[in-house]
Amino acid sequence: MVMGKRSTIIISSSDDEKKDPLWNSSRSNSKSKSKSSVRGTNPRGSKKARLSDSRSRLCNDSSNVNEITLFCEDFDDGFSGFKVSTGSGKSSRKDLWVDKYKPRSLEELAVHKKKVEEVKVWFEERLKATREEFCNHVLVITGQAGVGKSATIQVIASHLKARVCEWNTPTPTIWQEHMHNSNAGIRYTSKLDEFESFVERIRKYGLVQSSFTGELKSSVILLIDDLPVTNGKVAYGRLYNCLHLLVRSTRIPTAILITDYGKSDSADHPARSFEELQLSLENAGACKVAFNPITTNSIKKTLSRICRQEQCNVTAEQIDLIAKASGGDIRHAITSLQYFCLKPDPMRSLSLSNPTTSYSKEKSDELNPLDDGFSLPFGRDETLSLFHALGKFLHNKRETEYSIASDQDAFLVRERFTRLPLKMDAPEKVLCQAHGQARPIADFLHENVLDFLNEEAIDDAWAVASYLSDADFLLATLRGMIARNHEADSVVQSAAASVAVRGVLFGNSHPLPSRWHSIRRPNLWHVEQSSSHNKFELLRQRFCAYNGLSSFNASVIATEYTPVLKWLGYREPEDLEPHQVMMRGNETENDNFDGMSLDDQEGKISEDEIEDW
Amino acid sequence: MAPMLQSSQPWVEKYRPKQVKDVAHQDEVVKVLSNTLETTNCPHMLFYGPPGTGKTTTALAIAHQLYGPELYKSRVLELNASDDRGINVVRTKIKDFAAVAVGSGHRQGGYPCPPYKIIILDEADSMTEDAQNALRRTMETYSKVTRFFFICNYISRIIEPLASRCAKFRFKPLSEEIMSSRILHICNEEGLNLDSEALSTLSSISQGDLRRAITYLQGAARLFGSNISSKDLISVSGVIPQEVVQALFAACKSGDFDLANKEVNNVIAEGYPVSQMLSQLFDVVVEADDISDEQKARICKRLGETDKCLVDGADEYLQLLEVASNTMRALCNMPQEFSFES
Amino acid sequence: MLWVDKHRPKTLDQIIVHEEVAQNLKKLVTEQDCPHLLFYGPTGSGKKTLIMALLRQMFGPGAEKVKVENKTWKVDAGSRTIDLDLTTLSSTHHVELNPSDAGFQDRYIVQEIIKEMAKNRPIDTKGKKGYKVLVLNEVDKLSREAQHSLRRTMEKYSASCRLILCCNSSSKVTEAIRSRCLNVRIHAPTEEQIVKVLEFIGNKEGVQLPSGLAARIAEKSNRSLRRAILSFETCRVQQYPFTSNQAIPPMDWEEYVSEIASDIMKEQSPKRLFQVRGKLYELLINCIPPEIILKRLLFELLKKLDAELKHEVCHWAAYYEHRMRLGQKSIFHMEAFVAKFMSIYKAFLIATFG
Repeated sequence: MVMGKRSTIIISSSDDEKKDPLWNSSRSNSKSKSKSSVRGTNPRGSKKARLSDSRSRLCNDSSNVNEITLFCEDFDDGFSGFKVSTGSGKSSRKDLWVDKYKPRSLEELAVHKKKVEEVKVWFEERLKATREEFCNHVLVITGQAGVGKSATIQVIASHLKARVCEWNTPTPTIWQEHMHNSNAGIRYTSKLDEFESFVERIRKYGLVQSSFTGELKSSVILLIDDLPVTNGKVAYGRLYNCLHLLVRSTRIPTAILITDYGKSDSADHPARSFEELQLSLENAGACKVAFNPITTNSIKKTLSRICRQEQCNVTAEQIDLIAKASGGDIRHAITSLQYFCLKPDPMRSLSLSNPTTSYSKEKSDELNPLDDGFSLPFGRDETLSLFHALGKFLHNKRETEYSIASDQDAFLVRERFTRLPLKMDAPEKVLCQAHGQARPIADFLHENVLDFLNEEAIDDAWAVASYLSDADFLLATLRGMIARNHEADSVVQSAAASVAVRGVLFGNSHPLPSRWHSIRRPNLWHVEQSSSHNKFELLRQRFCAYNGLSSFNASVIATEYTPVLKWLGYREPEDLEPHQVMMRGNETENDNFDGMSLDDQEGKISEDEIEDW
Repeated sequence: MAPMLQSSQPWVEKYRPKQVKDVAHQDEVVKVLSNTLETTNCPHMLFYGPPGTGKTTTALAIAHQLYGPELYKSRVLELNASDDRGINVVRTKIKDFAAVAVGSGHRQGGYPCPPYKIIILDEADSMTEDAQNALRRTMETYSKVTRFFFICNYISRIIEPLASRCAKFRFKPLSEEIMSSRILHICNEEGLNLDSEALSTLSSISQGDLRRAITYLQGAARLFGSNISSKDLISVSGVIPQEVVQALFAACKSGDFDLANKEVNNVIAEGYPVSQMLSQLFDVVVEADDISDEQKARICKRLGETDKCLVDGADEYLQLLEVASNTMRALCNMPQEFSFES
Repeated sequence: MLWVDKHRPKTLDQIIVHEEVAQNLKKLVTEQDCPHLLFYGPTGSGKKTLIMALLRQMFGPGAEKVKVENKTWKVDAGSRTIDLDLTTLSSTHHVELNPSDAGFQDRYIVQEIIKEMAKNRPIDTKGKKGYKVLVLNEVDKLSREAQHSLRRTMEKYSASCRLILCCNSSSKVTEAIRSRCLNVRIHAPTEEQIVKVLEFIGNKEGVQLPSGLAARIAEKSNRSLRRAILSFETCRVQQYPFTSNQAIPPMDWEEYVSEIASDIMKEQSPKRLFQVRGKLYELLINCIPPEIILKRLLFELLKKLDAELKHEVCHWAAYYEHRMRLGQKSIFHMEAFVAKFMSIYKAFLIATFG
């Protein structure tokens, strides 16, 4: 998945190397090895070859365009270059299908027709129109990874006979690498710096090429993919300003691609900041088109087409399976397909991956990887399996009696500590397969476990609660030593997850017969958010409202002042109102919360999958 | 540093002995060190012992007597726990200082001035093990030109390789007479009136720690003027009056939970530090004659656990209530296990 | 303005409750020799009032002209610089802040601010009081590291600034700091003292206060003067003229906690536990600190229990509060306590009533 994902990033790095012999020589030792190892899997070779195309000379000539790469439409060129570099006969097998079968015409795009049309019309209008007709020249395209955002732009551009100029973030220099290179006189520039200077240049000079090249006065589309990741307020502010400048000043039709990351982890800062960014861009006058995940049918169609062209023997069911598992990420689906076809005997591996299960039950296929430990090569959606793992833990299915094997562990356990054997793998294994992180696992279990307890069994509830408390304690010890000791960190993590999961399994000693349950998202996350928000408000207000004379202490204000003020009806119009509205607002917010948390699609899946499991 | 107001100079500094021979009550140490001073041959040294027994004073006095005020600055490096002493400092600052060679010993202004420098590491037991390990190499490499003085409370926290390179001196807690005489000396100098009750209170609440005694004395003098009573000293020191401790203990003996709860509430409301309460309660329990050893053990175990909880930042009221409840159950011979635990 | 603020004594001479301490402080300051000070005592005992009055004594009315400043500090933390937002209250003579607001970065705040204060030290033409005062609240909530660096900074800049530290429990302040400060214990006022203050305020406000009511307010205040004055004022709004047996309105969250307690007593089941969780969330959203919720809950539960259960319950409360302190998410531990209580109580009911 990773290798196919940002293949274009590499372009600029190889460009870098060419341009800067100093750089190249200084790290040739370290680099050459990695280069050769990368080459087999990466389309770098092809890209490089493409760069040697006549037009790319211009890039090297003009000093300011190392970020801008020109895409040529003919991919075959690239492939021939690639063949040479690997020197292998069966080139077609080794190449990444993702690149090989890049859509070349509007028809081949798997993206929904309407969206494509929308984008196309937008570009057409901008390109045809005289310069000043539209005030906004920026289009923001959002969507999860692999829904064909950049492919759409490329295809539309070629359809409109426009050239695409792309800004790609240069290969990040690792800090150590920089240290290593610093004697060679190369300055470390962050992605953000480069982006800023790029935008600056665009604003000042426009795209130099368009005036530079005497050839056909073709129209140009600017494509900005992969915004620099920002960390912290300052960097974010810079990016923000930068983009705003761009939106306001650019005269070239520009597409900014923003990838939505999984919304499941709310704490993820970059994801959230991108959302904010997107909103603010819209406010600044940019158009927005959101791409949905590609439908299974479209993916299936594309996959079968590829199969036909590659002459692979893949059954419709297998394609179906791959398409379903991809979660709407077509790039991922194609990569999976390629990987799948590489197997010496596709038939056998498939039969391994779903042993004897009938295909009529699709659901169980996706659960399989959890069951038999043989992971399907193409599961993508982590949250999906996380929910399944949670379902397993919560439902706590056990055998109805001891198998004879139980005399293996000969030591006796007091009766109240004995439990029937689990109907699943070791919990740690399940966790590992579900890629469960300790913290969210603990939060999810905490949120949901009470639903799965016997109505009478308060002792069980205590046992479970105490184990979760232990897990939380373990997770907290982590905080103190962040970054200091990575190994210990991960040990504590997995220990905590283990304690939480096994605690839930063990503590629930009278499991309920299984019945339908939906798994809720931890309400705690929401509580924490609003609590910290309220706290912030409190702290902010304590100065204005109380004139700094009374106590400073937040807890005193919360426990003593606020109630009394409420009681007295002392409402300074602006100061206290928002705070109290907030409090009242909480309940309504709670209600529509679940909807917001998981995509509709995901939510549904999790619910029916858990049912009857 | 800007000149300090004379009056605000801590008495601890003001009355710090300037000469090794003035150091109170550490006769063996003083004898050995006086020898050292005469021969100006000085090994690496490790001073350990409870706080306030004169370790730092001794180290500083040696340094002063060796170099005199002029050379002192350039020859002696003093680092204590409040300075940053991570491994990086050991690697850079200490090493840099240690590495510089100094001129051979010319006596200057009546001071011996031996041809080496001194690094005093106060509170060495709070250094990390890594830092200590790094130090070990430095010590070996520069032993010709540099001597190290380690000062710590707990010798067990100094890693063995370091300790074995040093001459070790143990400082004993000061006896009451020595303390009293020292304190009376200060009282005379400062013009304070201290009755005998106050004097004995002072030496008992400071538990052999002369520095603490002097600090209390100064604090009391500042707050209450020159006539200092035993009560004033107690209020300044943060020690809890014995009546309060006894009242809590009696409440525990009574077996009435609500009464104990009330006492606990009172202690909290009065603002007494609970950790102090624990240690005083501990004294009371250990000294009590009418409690069986088993009961004492039960109580003390809980006291220990509670102390740890407090260090972790647990709530004082709940912890003290827990101690009270546990003590009560021990004293009234209630079973150790709870009856309704599943 | 609330009565608590309106009738706050402005000078050391006006202070009623801790008269003796106030007089001693006055003596201390007028002798021009002010050591670092550490005030400790329970909430609502008057530490802040004393400190404000003390500042006024030191610097005159100028100390009361405070302005609120929200400043971003650029702190150099080894390899990188961090930005820290912190709100301070300052006059020309003093700065007041809550270093624990900075969370993990509290250490840098302490260093940085003191350094900065030492830099622009006021030069008084009369050559008087060449130092600033830094008031640090909630020092007991500072991390160990921060306390350590506080100690160093105290020594380093003792000539140019004086620290006034303020905290609830001195156990959580390291010995090193305590021994460098003059420790002043501020005990909570006794109920009689509270009654006296209430009567004083009643007089000033021209309100007739029956002594029975004053006594009841004092009793309910848990020896917190602030609490008492606040409820006095709510009583005034609720019903006037007073009757000596009129109800004293409780704080809304306390009522809520007592509701939770009776919920717990009524039914012990996972389902009820879940409902309780919801209510606890509600309290947390309103920023009631978890340990205060837990203590209050214990208080409510203890009221309703037999003696033999009390020991057990208070043990678990202490246990889980400690856990909560070490842990990350308080609800996990509070819920464990509630579950434990339910479990114990159910066992007790079965044992007693079969």
